[in-house]
Parts: sequence; structure tokens; C-alpha cells
Amino acid sequence: MTVAPARSGTESGRSVPPPRVDPPSWRHRLGRWDTRYTPYLAIAPFFVVFGIFGLYPLLYTAWVSLHDWQLVDGAQGFVGLENFRELFTDPHFWNALGNTVSLFVLSTVPQLLAALALAALLDRGLRGRAFWRAGVLLPNVISVAAVALVFAQLFGRDFGIVNGVLGVFGIDPVDWRAETWASHLAISSMVMWRWTGYNALIYLAAMQSVPKDMYESAMLDGASRWRVFWSITVPSIRPTILFTVIVSTIGGMQLFVEPQLFDPGGTATGTGGADRQFQTLVMYLYEKGFRLFDAGYSSAIAWVLFMLILLVALLNFTLTRRIASKG
Amino acid sequence: MSRTLVGRVTATIATAMAATMAVACGGGGDAGDGKIKLSIGIFSDFGYDNLIKEYQAQHPNIEIEQRKVKMEQHHTQLATQLAGGRGAADIVAIEEGNVALFRQSKDKFVNLADYGAKDLKSQWAAWKWNQGTTDDGNFVLGLGTDMGSLALCYRRDLFQAAGLPTERDAVSKLWPTWNDFLATADKFTAATPNVKFVDAAQNVYKAILDQTEEGYFAKADDSFIADKNPKVADAFKLAASLGEKKQTGALAPFSQDWNVALKQASFATTTCPAWALALIKAGAGDEAAGKWDVAAAPGGGGNWGGSFLAVPKQGKHPKEAYELAKWLTAPEQQKRIFKETGNLPSEPAAYKDPEVTAAVNEYFNKAPVGQIFGNSAENLKPTYRGTKDAKVTPVFNNALSRVETGKQSTVDAFEQAVREARDAAK
Repeated sequence: MTVAPARSGTESGRSVPPPRVDPPSWRHRLGRWDTRYTPYLAIAPFFVVFGIFGLYPLLYTAWVSLHDWQLVDGAQGFVGLENFRELFTDPHFWNALGNTVSLFVLSTVPQLLAALALAALLDRGLRGRAFWRAGVLLPNVISVAAVALVFAQLFGRDFGIVNGVLGVFGIDPVDWRAETWASHLAISSMVMWRWTGYNALIYLAAMQSVPKDMYESAMLDGASRWRVFWSITVPSIRPTILFTVIVSTIGGMQLFVEPQLFDPGGTATGTGGADRQFQTLVMYLYEKGFRLFDAGYSSAIAWVLFMLILLVALLNFTLTRRIASKG
Repeated sequence: MSRTLVGRVTATIATAMAATMAVACGGGGDAGDGKIKLSIGIFSDFGYDNLIKEYQAQHPNIEIEQRKVKMEQHHTQLATQLAGGRGAADIVAIEEGNVALFRQSKDKFVNLADYGAKDLKSQWAAWKWNQGTTDDGNFVLGLGTDMGSLALCYRRDLFQAAGLPTERDAVSKLWPTWNDFLATADKFTAATPNVKFVDAAQNVYKAILDQTEEGYFAKADDSFIADKNPKVADAFKLAASLGEKKQTGALAPFSQDWNVALKQASFATTTCPAWALALIKAGAGDEAAGKWDVAAAPGGGGNWGGSFLAVPKQGKHPKEAYELAKWLTAPEQQKRIFKETGNLPSEPAAYKDPEVTAAVNEYFNKAPVGQIFGNSAENLKPTYRGTKDAKVTPVFNNALSRVETGKQSTVDAFEQAVREARDAAK
């Protein structure tokens, strides 16, 4: 019934065929085309824009990656898969990949758990609800560069507040930029600071659509709050969790600004620490492409990164699907 | 996905470019009122604000727009603009450490000799002129702006606390050579172990290396020689030894932390080219006025920095751009810039001028900077910069940083640096 205007003629339902079949009129045909093609037309702008700003650069990058391509001077000759071959034997690439994964895990897992907890708190009747809800989003609207600058100060080696606080408890100052684990922790804290509130709001929106009677019946059965949360709330918002995991994965694999600005060398000479201890894949891509001007190699990194993200997203998708269907 | 990826990658440049984008698109064209629009792309402070106003007053048909970007973004941005064939300013500044890299892409620039630049040759100190040219001097890429002859800045109060002399002549006598500098460092550390003698090993390293004729690349054929040039290894070992003994602040020069350390007076000396005085003053603040002073650098001077003005081919008004660049780099203007910003002229007519030689810097305990920097400019023999110098330098700086933070021994750090440098220079 909902597709009422979709059929070409209302006659189709009749049991007796009409005495005369006119060739479909102009109007008629126009109407049919309209219903058939208008939706495509409506979504076409997205695909046109995607084609220009998404697909074209993607394919062009692939083309560049098959060349010895210098940023300023352009193509210096076709080299096939040579850039990729070199990439897979490049220890700096594997180092960057390891750092990216480490930073991703360190920032995403605690972040999503904290967001879940935060959302659960916000879901309860708090006083000044709007204030708290807007508040958790605040870190997200502040520019990344500003956040990175402030955190770089906090984690300063000689005069940073974090080391100052550690000193109160008798802990020796940590060189946050020089040590691998320390630097990963510091950068992860930056990412968490920016994105926890954002994810919490998404969870909160999902939680509010969970039918309240389910909670009531559970309470009647004497379930604890903890039990209700894990057995009703979390399973009910599973699709939302899946969504945030995928989005965080994509963001995490592309981590760039936070670690780049955490390096005192900045974008000019920063290699993610003197030992590349916190250089991510995109930082390595930037170094190769925009500092060493090796656009071909840089494009190869971009493509590998693209494939990796695709792979991880698919993996995420199937895994979370399986878990969801089990529930 | 790829869209956000590409976006992310260029994010840093994009931020810097955003401001200039709008003008970049319309720039180079002529204004509706028949005026010729010229843009000039520089970094930090070239002291052009007043000069540009004056030039516009003298040339009513020309409108000049200044684009200032942070130095770390300037050269990357210029590279992408040259690659894209649009967006570059009509006149662009290129820093000395990067000039060799752009010399390689000279077909993207106007040969200023076509407009008669060769006639100006005698204005500059010979080495400065040569740095801006290629093809045996037949291709003039850029006209020299300032130069960065080297001195050593020190904090008088910290020297006094360590029982060292505080007057600049006596301090200069402490370190005729770099080994004397190390010996002074030991004395200083023995007396005041909690203060670092120098800000960063990489500054010392650069100063030593800049006093040699060749660094990472051979003067003759631009080939990679960092692995066999004993001067590189010597400079590295010398600077690293300060790091090993924890006599350096292990800071990235001119970074946020460096500024904080300056404010907290946690290091006593730093290498200072003429242009660095303004940075030290800004970092240390008014309360340190008169505490910093300028002495001669160990090993006898050197050059660090200074820039050139070049004209990219993509601009619409190369002739007018050349005329402006010529005027901005003329001795008379260089002198005025020195008075305003302290950037040292690179032309004898300017740096030998009594107005310049008599100049003192109030903040640095009235140090006669005109004399100190001007004197060392004359006999300066700049080190040869290879085409890939800018790519190799950070590798060695990273290595020194690993020694400073105790993560690697000097020998291992140097070995790794040479290996990585060879890759970067490929």
C-alpha cells in the first residue's frame, strides 16, 4: 500500500482487462521515469562530489605511486610496483605501522569504555542535564592544534605539570617524548580527551531509545543496576557500538596531528621523536611526501594505509556482526 | 575514506594556506583599477612592513601584499605551490639551508640574470651572491637578503655563579677552539651542576660543521660524503660528548620547551646567528634584560641562515617582481632592516656602514652587535650545502638527540645516522 504511486496504472489490479489498450501517454511515461530515476538524481550530487574529491584523488594517488615522482619536479619515470616493494622492506614503515596500532589500541579501548560509562551516567536523571551534555562535547570543538599545544606543555619534561604532580608522589620525572611507552600514553590521552565526550553523546542518544519497560521489568525481577546495564543497555545499543568502533578505527589509523605536534620538531623536522618512537603511518607519509619530496613513495604509503583501513573495517564489521547475532 | 585521508595529510599545510588561499587564487592578477598586484611570501620577520609602504608610495601603480607563514611551513608550502603550478607568491623568500634544494628545480623560477641581475653582483659578499646562483653563475635564482654570521650568546649571571669571567672579551678568550669550549663546559658543570651549559647538542654540532668547507656533500660533484668526511664525524663526536655528560638541555632549538627553558634560565649558552638575538629576547623576556651577552663563537665564526628572494615563473609580473626584489635587497634598505629587526645585511656597503658598525643591542648588555657580526661576515667561508642537505640534517640532529637522552651511545648513534642519511640522500 505504501507504494501506491509506484505502479504505472491503477488498472493493474482489475480483474477485467480494459477494452482498449492505449499506448502509454507522454504524461504517463514521464511519471514513470520520474518515480524511477528521481531518487538517483537526488543522490547524484553526493556521488559527483565524491567522484571529484574522493575517487579521483584516490586513483591519481595510485597512478603516482607507480612512478618515481618528485613533489616539485613531477614524474621521473614509471617504476611499476617498485615503491611498494621497497615499502615492505622498509623498517621505518613497519615501525610506523606498529606505533599506529599501539596508539590506536591505547586510545580507543579505554576511550570507548569511558564513553559508555559517561553515557550511562548522563542517561540517569542528572540536575542541569543540558549543561553536562554540552560539557562533554566541549573538548571536541576545540581545535586540535590548540589541544596538542596545551598537552605538549602538560607533558613537558622539565617544567610540565604532569611531572610536577608525579614529583609530589616521589616519582622521578618522565621524559614523555623520549620514552616510547610514555609518549604513546601522552598522545593517547590527547586523543581520549578529544573523543570520549563525542562518543558518549552518541551512546547516550542510543540509550534513550531503549524501551523503558525493559528496565522496569528487570528491576521488578530484582536485577542490579550493573546487571541491567550489561544485560539490557549494552546489547540494545550494539549497532551504535559497532558504528563507533568502525569510526574510531578509521580515525585511529589516520592519527596525525596530535603526534606530529607533540614532536618539538613540529611539521618541519618532526619524525615522531628522535628514534621515531611515536611516528604514525600518516606522519611517515607526510615526512616522505612533503619533507623529502618523494611523492611516489608517499602515495604508496597512502594506498597501503587505505587497504589496511579497509581490511580492519571489514574485520571489525564481521566480528561485531557475529557478536551481535549471538546476542 | 581516501578523501579524509588526503585531507588529513595536507591538514597542516592547509591550515597555513587557508588564510592565503583566497588571495592566492586572485593574486598575481591585476586589480580592476589597473594596478599591478604583487605578492611576497616570507617567513618570520623580514622587516618589510614600512619598506613596502614606501615602495607603494613611490610606485602608485603597484599594490603589494605580504604573506607571512611560519618558517617550518613556508618551504613545504612553496614546494607544493611550485608542483601545482599555481598559488606561489610573485616573490618568495628561500632560506639558505633550503636554497640548494630549490636550485635543483630552477626551471620553476625566473632567471633573474634575464633582467640584469648580474650587474648587481658586486653589491653582495661574494659567497652570499654565489649561494643564490647556479650554472656557474649564469642562472641567478635569488637575491640575498640577510645573513647569519655566528656568535655565541651567554648568560652573565650564570657565568658569574660558576666563577667564570663575565665580560665579553674575556669570555671570547675562554674558547678560541671548540675543545676549549668543552673544557669551559666542564668547569661550568663542576661549579653549578644543576644548570645546563648549552641548550642543545645539535646547535653546537651545526656551528662546528658550518665552519668546515664541506659537510655532508662534496663540493666538487655534490656526492654524499658524510660517511667518509672526518669533519662530520669529529663535529658529531664533539657535540655528542656534551650530551653524554648531560651538559646540554636536550632541547629542540626554538621549540616551545626551548622558550620555557630560556625563561627559566636553565641553560647558560647558545649559538646565536644575528637573527637569533630577537628570538632569545622574545623567549627570555624583559626580566632577563642585560643578563644575556654576545661573545665570539669558538673556531672563528661561520654562517647560519640568511635568505634569498626568488621569483617563481608562474607569476604574471616577473619584471615588476624583480624590480621590487632588487629594491628590497639594496644596501640602503638592508641597513634600515638591520636597524628595525637586527637582521644582518649581507652587503659590504651596508654592514661596513658606520650606522651599522656602531649599533649596540641594549637588551644584550649593550653588546656592539654591528661590530661583532659585521667583522665575522667579511672573512666568512660558508660551508658547501648539497642539494639534499635539508633532507640529511634532521637525521643527524635526531641522532644527537638520542645521545642526549641517553638512549644510544655516540658510536651507535653516528653509525645509524650515516646509514639513514645515505637513504635520505638517495
